[in-house]
Amino acid sequence: MSFGLVSCDDDFLDVPPTNSGESSTAVESVADAQVVLNGIMRGLTDITYYGRNFMVYAEAKGGEVTTRTLGRGLSDMYTFNSTPTSNNFESFWNDMYNRILQTNYLIESIENVTGEGNYDNVKGQALTVRALLYFDLVRIYGKPYTYDKTSYGIPNVLTPIDALSNPLRASVEENYQQIIIDLKAAEELLPKAKSDGYVNYYANKALQARVYLTMANYPEALAAAEEVINTGPYQLYSNSAWVGSWASQFGSESIFELGIIPNENDHGNGSLSIYFRKQYYGSSSANGQYFASDYYLDKLEQDAEDVRWGIMGDDREFASEDIHMGASYKYSGDLALSGDGKSTATAVNIKVIRLSEMYLIAAEAAFHSDKELAATYLNKIRQRSPNLAPATAGTISIDMILDEKSKELFTEGQRYFDMLRLGKPITFNDDFNDLPITARTKTIDVTFDKIVLPIPKNEINANPPLGAQQNPGY
Amino acid sequence: MRVKKLGILTFLLLFLVQTGFAQEKIVSGTIVDNNNIPVAGANIIIQGTSRGTTSDFDGHYTINATEGQTLVFTSMGFNEQRITVKSSNTIDVTLVEGLALDEVFVVAYGTATKESYTGAADVIKAKDLELSQNASFQDALVGRAPGVQVTKGSGQVGSATSIQIRGIGSINASTEPLYVIDGVPVSSNSSGQLQDYIYSSNNVLNSLNPEDIESISVLKDAAASSLYGSRAANGVVLITTKKGKTGEPKITLKSSFGFSPDWATDNWEPASTEDNLDYLYRVYYDAELSGGGTAVESNGYALRSLNNRFGKYGYIFSTDGTGPGENLNIAGKTDGVLNRDGQFYNWKDEFFRNAINLTNDVSVSGGTEKTNYFSSFSYTRNDGRVKENSYDRFSGRVNVIQKIGNHIEFGSNVNVSGSTLTGFNDTNNAGANYFQAVRSRLFGVYWPTDYKTGEVYTGRYGNSFAYNNLFHDNEWENSSKVFQTRVIETVKVNILPELVAQTIFSYDNTETKDHLYYSRLHYNGKGMGEVTEMSTNEKRAVSSTTLTYDLSLGLHNFNALAGFETERNRTSFQRSKGTDLPASGLHTVSTAGDTDASAYSWGNSMMSYLSRLEYNYNKKYYLAGSLRRDGSSKLGPDTRWGNFWSVSGAWSIDREPFMENVDIINSLRIRASYGINGTLPPSNYGWRSLIGYSSKYMSLPGAGLTNISDPNLSWETNHISDVALEFGLLKNRLYGTIEYFNRDSNDLLQSVPISRVTGFSSTLRNIGSINNKGIELQLGGKIIDTKDLVWSANVNASFVKSKVTKLSEGADIIWYDNVDRRAQYIYKEGESTLAFYGLEYAGVDRTNGVNIFYVNDPNDPNAGDFQLNGRGATYDFNKAKETIIGEAFPDVQGGLNTQVAYKGVSLGLNFIYKIGGYLYDSVDQHVADDGLYWERMRSQYAVDNMWTEENPNGSLPKVRGTDEEGVTQFSSRHLYDATFLRLKNINLGYDFPSSVTERMKLSTLRVFAVGTNLFTSSKYKYADPEVNQFATKGWELPFTKNYTFGIELSF
Repeated sequence: MSFGLVSCDDDFLDVPPTNSGESSTAVESVADAQVVLNGIMRGLTDITYYGRNFMVYAEAKGGEVTTRTLGRGLSDMYTFNSTPTSNNFESFWNDMYNRILQTNYLIESIENVTGEGNYDNVKGQALTVRALLYFDLVRIYGKPYTYDKTSYGIPNVLTPIDALSNPLRASVEENYQQIIIDLKAAEELLPKAKSDGYVNYYANKALQARVYLTMANYPEALAAAEEVINTGPYQLYSNSAWVGSWASQFGSESIFELGIIPNENDHGNGSLSIYFRKQYYGSSSANGQYFASDYYLDKLEQDAEDVRWGIMGDDREFASEDIHMGASYKYSGDLALSGDGKSTATAVNIKVIRLSEMYLIAAEAAFHSDKELAATYLNKIRQRSPNLAPATAGTISIDMILDEKSKELFTEGQRYFDMLRLGKPITFNDDFNDLPITARTKTIDVTFDKIVLPIPKNEINANPPLGAQQNPGY
Repeated sequence: MRVKKLGILTFLLLFLVQTGFAQEKIVSGTIVDNNNIPVAGANIIIQGTSRGTTSDFDGHYTINATEGQTLVFTSMGFNEQRITVKSSNTIDVTLVEGLALDEVFVVAYGTATKESYTGAADVIKAKDLELSQNASFQDALVGRAPGVQVTKGSGQVGSATSIQIRGIGSINASTEPLYVIDGVPVSSNSSGQLQDYIYSSNNVLNSLNPEDIESISVLKDAAASSLYGSRAANGVVLITTKKGKTGEPKITLKSSFGFSPDWATDNWEPASTEDNLDYLYRVYYDAELSGGGTAVESNGYALRSLNNRFGKYGYIFSTDGTGPGENLNIAGKTDGVLNRDGQFYNWKDEFFRNAINLTNDVSVSGGTEKTNYFSSFSYTRNDGRVKENSYDRFSGRVNVIQKIGNHIEFGSNVNVSGSTLTGFNDTNNAGANYFQAVRSRLFGVYWPTDYKTGEVYTGRYGNSFAYNNLFHDNEWENSSKVFQTRVIETVKVNILPELVAQTIFSYDNTETKDHLYYSRLHYNGKGMGEVTEMSTNEKRAVSSTTLTYDLSLGLHNFNALAGFETERNRTSFQRSKGTDLPASGLHTVSTAGDTDASAYSWGNSMMSYLSRLEYNYNKKYYLAGSLRRDGSSKLGPDTRWGNFWSVSGAWSIDREPFMENVDIINSLRIRASYGINGTLPPSNYGWRSLIGYSSKYMSLPGAGLTNISDPNLSWETNHISDVALEFGLLKNRLYGTIEYFNRDSNDLLQSVPISRVTGFSSTLRNIGSINNKGIELQLGGKIIDTKDLVWSANVNASFVKSKVTKLSEGADIIWYDNVDRRAQYIYKEGESTLAFYGLEYAGVDRTNGVNIFYVNDPNDPNAGDFQLNGRGATYDFNKAKETIIGEAFPDVQGGLNTQVAYKGVSLGLNFIYKIGGYLYDSVDQHVADDGLYWERMRSQYAVDNMWTEENPNGSLPKVRGTDEEGVTQFSSRHLYDATFLRLKNINLGYDFPSSVTERMKLSTLRVFAVGTNLFTSSKYKYADPEVNQFATKGWELPFTKNYTFGIELSF
């Protein structure tokens, strides 16, 4: 009865939590900063980002996949049936800005730290990740740089901002400028050695190649991709090793690969593995959500011995149907759901940037200046279809490079953005199961307003000035 | 009154001389009520002394007294009687039952009588609680007191109950009252963590056995509750447990058994399988037709779709014609081992049972002059109608009061209880919610076995996403076990007759163990099996020391209280999870291939100083004031201390000389109060800017910011004024209270929505204001009061207006009521705190069956595609603007209770009612859509009322195959008048006459039957009108009808 009386009331009334710390004092050493960086990396693997939604977004809207029925999870990505209030995947906006805050907090904390220690690596990674977040976010909410870079991009915030502020959208061009600034600033801080699960110098460079390509800055894209190809510690998978690479972690092509661990960030029944799997295969929650469209399979069928068949499986719902090899098992290890060496088949690492992509970027970037060089880079990947004739300076075309990129990087978060940046029409395989689509036509292109998502109504409610900056068409 | 004055005078005179010729003698007598039934356990005290006794079971008492002394006879439920001892040695007393103004009841840090109390409090006695036979005392409060709203979010047994007193006083913090058991504030949260997994809430207050409760006081105004300071804004519920009465040991046994064979009402009864498939035919048909198809193509597409979707279950569909409204021919396929021709599976009752409930209580109580004891043991088991829902509890209690010498009294209350709850997810969930499954997902053409192979079907049923839970139910289990030990030790020292010190120390240890298992075959088992064990241990220590001082100076009476209180709450949590389970027989983490664990703790502390001063002049004029100062760890160092106070007064008009000749009025009293109390933030750490370490990466620790905090976070302050008129007429044959309150809740914690670009969706600020005001009425009376027949009734009503008065920068806040976002509301200055927000639905265009919405353009009332009733309207919901479409607060709600007793037979009826206000039916959109869902079932009313060419007066829109989303918008289409009347409980009992009981050597013998929810009359017809606190309907398990039979005997 006297415990309150004997202790000082300030002590008695100070009850701190045991699973959280004060944010103002949380970063006081390099090790502390590394812990926050770990949290940021973990954030990239969330289901709303690389853990699933971003990868599905780039595929569902890109024409290389289709679906059997609507109304299932994420099918509105495919239908484009988004409005500011519904089916708008606002978690992109919400969660990615939260990740941006974490990078801003880490960068600011490092700047304020008084003690000794070399924070270069951590800071370089935080800057690179911030650039990645802005790059992905501006591609979701802003028109393609190559189509209309003066249109609205996304709010550009580089420090933790006051709770009641009303940030407004910058232009797409301003966003890309900041992305380049961050990447360049980070470049010199990062080590060149391989760093499994984290960002190193080459991951930064590879991202630069991707960004420059998206900006149609081909010389810079080529230079960055070539630097990764020529000086980086990475090697292309041989044809015989290609299929097996999906069942292993941090392979020789992985420039930036996010670690997924059971009981940590394994998304289980919500994972990419489930979303691209045949219906009910290995789990009654597998809905057979997305599978390759006939158009994708037509490309792959150019060569029955294409090594990339090795990761594709039958996606039929009923045995009475024709065989359709549209299920992708890149996120399941292999067709037997072996995973990539962990206790669950759904805890498969996410390969964000692979060396193959660098060759394809180099090919496309070189195409505008040196078709022979372009063909050389393309053929390194194209030879994964052993029966197809290698490209030459005479036969190579942007479409050939794009087709190869589609075959190689299927379900890896590229297709939609490639089509948009190049202004190519996207055709959907709606007729596969007579899907009634009302929000878009069968074929769309960059002139269609809904190629970008709406700014969520919830954001506009809290930040009314942004209402005047809603994307057209919403 | 004249008599009383004379009595006091006589007494004073006699007191002066008593030492001279006082001669003690033995006085004895019998105490009966006005029906001549003995009153057992009545207290007899010699006025001015602490000497007293208690009547036995036959109403007999014996006491040593001297002539001239006054005996004061009191008993719960009866008016006090004072009789001066004269020459006779026998004093028989008839106590008058009624609204005893001088009946003692428990209030904040003490006791009071109705006559002296200056606050607003309702008292509910044990016998009222017993009438309803609820496992939770909270549920028994429904309809018992005006302004006290008791609601449940689910009909699952053991689920949480919500109580709101006098409207809604908060936006973000709790709107629930503070619960105080035997003087000690207790936790009323959902206990354990299972609700994070399967949304089944485990109400920790259920650990209290209602049979142990003597009385409940509900404190409503500032005068009553401000002494509880920073937690009292939503009112305080004081629970007092039973104590022994002086006399021979009394043993009471009570046993009851009941069953719940059915729901209380219809709940979206599904249409037949044939009707549902015909409905889908229309959807598919229209999909093709509206895409430009011909009738033949549309018919072909519809049949192809049906055969594709449902053919795999063994059926073939065809039609005779090619029209949109064809009736399907459904035939069984012959290519499997089972032919289902002409048969459908009846899922409707598959998951539900005739649930049973049983309770066994035993208690022993008694006392001597020095010791009083009450001891009980109880076991209760309640099964839910769903097999995965049951609740059982054992509870043991010992309450002892020991007097030591003349000055010290030592009290000890020990309660040990254990309970086990099994529940299931009854939110909007395709797989886990059995009730939803049978109402909207499980078509009769789905079977638990595959027609082709005869094997059990384990996958999902097509695009309805339902599972065969007949199989999966054997592949999972859950339980939440609460083990609680609560000890309350009280030491009371009578330092002087007028100065009393009391210390209460309480220690409460609540251990909740949650267990959740999915086998590798279960759809949540991820193909590996998963078991999670969680342990949540809440330790709560409360100590309070108070000093009370009584002083009388002539007709001036003073009572002062000062006290100090500390409270310390710590909860520690552990979770261990195992995945990859080897054998289905072992459901333990230790057998798992992979394990994962977490453990941490949280808590809060509070320190308080409290004081109260009460004064009355000749029991005619009353004044009181209270002041409490609270410091809480939930707030930052600069803001953590706050002051809460009240002032109040009362005037007993009936004691005025001018009232003496007004015979019709036997009591009349006015009281008024004003004061401030508060509500603490819900979070322990809301004021701290935190970084959380919950984002591991690559098996390394990871961290991130978890909030944007406001270090100046403070309490919500609640200013309440209250005026009441209390009256008793015709010797309390008719009595009542009319009360007005006005409650301004300011500095409300508002989760201010902020730009997500900041990284977070909201930040907490003390900004908003809400006003609740209203009138509460209580009227009771004895309609018939004869020796054999007594019929009493009381009615209560509360008229509450609850409005938002201030918001951050005046900006509206749109919010939703639970995880399912069942309804959309808006907080808007000047509008109701439960204002439904959405599109205004204008019904169906009779000419084409299309739904119509009013546009409600705030700038132009005529804006729209066409005019309807002089207002702009449209077919396209995208063009309509959201507006306030109704409010949930009814015009009036309350309870009606009546009791008839004829000889040994008693009949009690307990009605609850609500008049006005709306409820929002979020299930409507699932079971009465316009063709949006291509593989869901519809309710019968949807099939009956849909517009077709043949039924142009249909009240629901035409069924389309074009994904009509008008139905899924928040709109007044789903708003219904919430008016209803429900016979919540009916209790029929029979007390065997003493001629029988004496032969059986019993003192009482009673048999009873209780019916719950047996009758409901409602404007809303589709489902149960008794809604949750937000007035929404969703997929929660409905309430049941219950019949319970029991026997109670004592000896």
